[in-house]
Amino acid sequence: MTGHDPQVKRLVLDVLKPHDPPMYELATKLALCHGVDDVNVTLAEIDQDTESVKISIDGTDIDIETVRKCVEDIGASVHSFDEVKVARRPHPK
Amino acid sequence: MLESLRKLRGYLKISGVASISRRYFVLNSFDGAITILGVVVGAYSSGAVDSRIVIGAGLGATVAMGTSGFSGAYLTERAERRRRLHSIKKAMLADVSKSVHGRAMKVATLWVALVDGISPMLAAVVPIIPFFLNLAGFISVDKAVWYSIVSIMCILFLLGVFLGRISKESMLRSGGRMIVVGMAAALLSWLIGWL
Repeated sequence: MTGHDPQVKRLVLDVLKPHDPPMYELATKLALCHGVDDVNVTLAEIDQDTESVKISIDGTDIDIETVRKCVEDIGASVHSFDEVKVARRPHPK
Repeated sequence: MLESLRKLRGYLKISGVASISRRYFVLNSFDGAITILGVVVGAYSSGAVDSRIVIGAGLGATVAMGTSGFSGAYLTERAERRRRLHSIKKAMLADVSKSVHGRAMKVATLWVALVDGISPMLAAVVPIIPFFLNLAGFISVDKAVWYSIVSIMCILFLLGVFLGRISKESMLRSGGRMIVVGMAAALLSWLIGWL
């Protein structure tokens, strides 16, 4: 009988960020995180000081805490997790 | 090393220090050059050019300008940057001081202070070099005065060219304008020394 570890395959976040650094820098930084394959950042709303963006991350084994720290490091904050996809993979014997 | 430079560029970009650095660089280099022009021309027109005195007064003024430039800019820039950080905090409803914005604030403050401190010193030290050559016996004191004045005019011209490049207007005209200002300052200093 094999054990199974859950892996996060997809994450969609709602993030509030200041204008600087720009979206593509946030996307690049997230793409460098372990387990992340693709990052898609879409602008949802914008005002004088901030912008709300929707971030979709696809990967093999996404670490949610690393993603959160990455977002907070650029001065942004995670408002909500809108979608999460988790898969199970067997332990090697 | 490359990674550190890349990070530095990133912080400076986030802080938007490019334009204020340019402004401080030209302004303070101009101050440094004109200050030494006043010392040299004033001493020459009063008939009392002693290389030791010019070097002493010149270096004293150089250090004073550098110190006041650095400390004044550091305190001013720090206050402005903290104000900006506070407005980001307010907009984000979160503490961003430990994020890239907090780090960029510290780097930008130090960068601007260094530009403000070093630029007048560099512009002031170069025109003093001929007087060292005079002390060493390589040139006469009269030649030292003229070489010093010529070097100041060259510095002013180059600053004008730099301004012309930034504003995308004629670099020669911009350089010429700076020389005219320098000559006006020299004339005033000469008159005061002569009186």
